[in-house]
Amino acid sequence: MYGFEALTFNIHGGYLEAIVRGYRSGLLTAADYNNLCQCETLDDIKMHLSATEYGPYLQNEPSPLHTTTIVEKCTLKLVDEYKHMLAQATEPLSTFLEYITYGHMIDNVVLIVTGTLHERDVQELLEKCHPLGMFDSIATLAVAQNMRELYRLVLVDTPLAPYFSECITSEDLDDMNIEIMRNTLYKAYLEDFYRFCQKLGGATAEIMSDLLAFEADRRAVNITINSIGTELTRDDRRKLYSNFGLLYPYGHEELAVCEDIDQVRGAMEKYPPYQSIFSKLSYGESQMLDKAFYEEEVKRLCLAFEQQFHYGVFFAYMRLREQEIRNLMWISECVAQNQKSRVHDSVVFIF
Amino acid sequence: MQSSENGVESRNGVAESEQHILNFLDSVDSYLILMETLSSALRQGWLELASARHSMGASRVNSALFDLKSHHASTTVQVNDDLPQFKLCKWASSDDPEKYSEEAKFEEDELFQNKSDGPRHQHQELQEKRRDGGASPVGTDNQAQKERSKTLSMFGTLVSPKLRATQLSFETALEMLVEISNTRASLLHAYDQVQKDRTNTE
Repeated sequence: MYGFEALTFNIHGGYLEAIVRGYRSGLLTAADYNNLCQCETLDDIKMHLSATEYGPYLQNEPSPLHTTTIVEKCTLKLVDEYKHMLAQATEPLSTFLEYITYGHMIDNVVLIVTGTLHERDVQELLEKCHPLGMFDSIATLAVAQNMRELYRLVLVDTPLAPYFSECITSEDLDDMNIEIMRNTLYKAYLEDFYRFCQKLGGATAEIMSDLLAFEADRRAVNITINSIGTELTRDDRRKLYSNFGLLYPYGHEELAVCEDIDQVRGAMEKYPPYQSIFSKLSYGESQMLDKAFYEEEVKRLCLAFEQQFHYGVFFAYMRLREQEIRNLMWISECVAQNQKSRVHDSVVFIF
Repeated sequence: MQSSENGVESRNGVAESEQHILNFLDSVDSYLILMETLSSALRQGWLELASARHSMGASRVNSALFDLKSHHASTTVQVNDDLPQFKLCKWASSDDPEKYSEEAKFEEDELFQNKSDGPRHQHQELQEKRRDGGASPVGTDNQAQKERSKTLSMFGTLVSPKLRATQLSFETALEMLVEISNTRASLLHAYDQVQKDRTNTE
């Protein structure tokens, strides 16, 4: 049962909802992707993108282009749009918009910590960080030796502080600890975001619950598949799954004991929304699983725009742009490597 | 009598020259096939790497994560100056580099035994065996798998199967390179023999 959002939403959220719907109309269409897939060089891609909203961001880039340059400039556009929306937002929308970036913040923290462990220069690592996940004291992460210091010196003053309670130890940071820290932080973040959306109630709660539950389930499947054949125990694997979603709790119990992709398929096919995803794959194969999940995610994100007066459109727009940037990255790599026959392996059309 | 002995000797000499030419042509054929296979393995590897970046995200797969701390090489090449001959020792344990080079030697022995099947066929067989995990002794196979995971851990311990496939492709490419080096050495040796035969004939 929705609240009377239609009466009051537009007072504070009307302008930004109109803005984000305008941004949405600028997403690349199937015709744009068809043109891009036929490009012979990265300069051709730049030429085609100059006719889109990415034009101003790429026009001053000199040849020869690199695929990372295209991705960086397209990401800058997303960052500018996000900052514009955040600057105009009032509570609780501003908090909602900030939640969207915490995932990138976690990735940046892990990147800096891992790179420091590998004796890399901090400046070099900062250049590789995602701009949406930057915060003031991020460079100080390089001095921490263990998670307790990470928390005490840097993260206590960041929005990630509440997520550290489950993973603070005095053990020195190594590759396994960092991986567990990454997944534990992300789990805590997703659960916190879910609770926040539930508190908002109404259409936002309903739409965001579905989108975040899908995200939690997808992460559970990816963690399972990626941990097959590694030293991660079943109990540790189970602890990394989020405590919500369609797979919680029985699906998680089955996934925790899976030893190969076919067992994962067996566990997932009991859930109708995921049966359609796994039906696209042949037995023993996991290469196309990512694309199948992205396609399902894009379908759900597009449906979020079918309804008005909720914050889910902002989350959906950010995710759709990120998918578009992934598409552009893949197309650029296929063109640069002269492998255009493989371009449709990973491109997910949004419209 | 003497002329018939000379005739037999010259016929033997011609047969030997022809054999040298055949050896040379065989070596060239092997070399060209190996070069093509190497190119294909590298193309596949680079595309799989792009696929892994697409799947895991650019922040998890990038050059800034390479480990710059000093560590033992997990794979070494031994050079025997006689021919010259190159031998690849893969996935030696970083604790005891000598102990687990047996798996590499085992695979190299397999490669030499199967040489008559042709490089492309034996390369495909080797990839299938590795993917099935069938041929190597269990202990050394597990150690090789551990060393592979250890090398990949610079990108995180829970990596996508696409990144593991990338590692296998580049590993195959490395084996191809060593085999190309050995084939090139035997090609040049065969060429020298053909040149010598030509000189003797003239």
